[in-house]
Amino acid sequence: MFFHIVLERNMQLHPRHFGRDLRDKLVSKLMKDVEGTCSGRHGFIVAITGIENVGKGLIRDGTGFVTFPVKYQCVVFRPFKGEIVEAVVTMVNKMGFFAEAGPVQIFVSNHLIPDDMEFQSGDVPNYTTSDGSVKIQKESEVRLKIIGTRVDATEIFCIGTIKDDFLGVISDPGANP
Amino acid sequence: MADEDYEMDGGYEDEPVEPELDEGVEVEEENNNEEAPDPLEGEGDEKQEQEPVERPRKTSKYMTKYERARILGTRALQISMNAPVMVELEGETDPLEVKCCEQQSEINMLKCCFILCDLKALKSFSITLQIAMKELRERKIPFTIRRYLPDGSYEDWGVDELIVEDSWKRQVGGQ
Repeated sequence: MFFHIVLERNMQLHPRHFGRDLRDKLVSKLMKDVEGTCSGRHGFIVAITGIENVGKGLIRDGTGFVTFPVKYQCVVFRPFKGEIVEAVVTMVNKMGFFAEAGPVQIFVSNHLIPDDMEFQSGDVPNYTTSDGSVKIQKESEVRLKIIGTRVDATEIFCIGTIKDDFLGVISDPGANP
Repeated sequence: MADEDYEMDGGYEDEPVEPELDEGVEVEEENNNEEAPDPLEGEGDEKQEQEPVERPRKTSKYMTKYERARILGTRALQISMNAPVMVELEGETDPLEVKCCEQQSEINMLKCCFILCDLKALKSFSITLQIAMKELRERKIPFTIRRYLPDGSYEDWGVDELIVEDSWKRQVGGQ
């Protein structure tokens, strides 16, 4: 799920940026530092949409650097248990398959793949139904349900299932009509 | 203190000059937007310390020599790290130019290169210090001093508000 929240961060700024465009430098450094990172608490920081305020700086002893507390609005993506997401399959093996929904990796075990889908090894490993109408392979897009998340300080990893109604392949690049 | 209005300026005109306050000086980079003093992230300071004194300030309007030393040192360090200089320079820029020659002659030949290297490093720092002093003289140093009081509260004084003492005039210049 996506959220638009306000976060705060202390930014260390080098003295050479103390000119007129201090604020711009601060913002660009913030974007470089923060966008694309992941914290277990808030999820993946997708984009910074605005700066709420820049507090007063505090000079660091001995280094000459200045620390500014910056409040910024950002879009974060955090997966939740029970959430339905659409993901692209990145790897298929006999244990199941891995898919990516944006920055988050999701593993779908073969226990959580419908029983009528069988693993087919070979050049392009895939899961196929017995009649061959549905095929999950690399680059397939699947809709899946997250049934578990593991949240570290800097990483989020999910377990998903497609063994439910309306879940499974959305589009299959390998399927020729 | 309840009857006193919130008034930041003009409140310290007739205050007695206090002896030097020598500790708890926080130097602060001034920022463009003036806002309510926000809780700075603390390096060890508790929440209770974080309210500013919302009264006429009562510490000395004179800059202590410790504050001056720290401001000059910090500012010189920043200038040495390519911080933009706030004053017009008049030939303070070249570290090798400055009066290196006569000093070198004072050093005996046997104390050679490596001391000279040190000296040059010292020189380039003294240039930044000179620039910092010039900035202080022209009240252009963009710092705020945070004076912590014994009860944990603090007062913020801009460097441009503080009076630099007379006895330092020969170094800092008349004010």
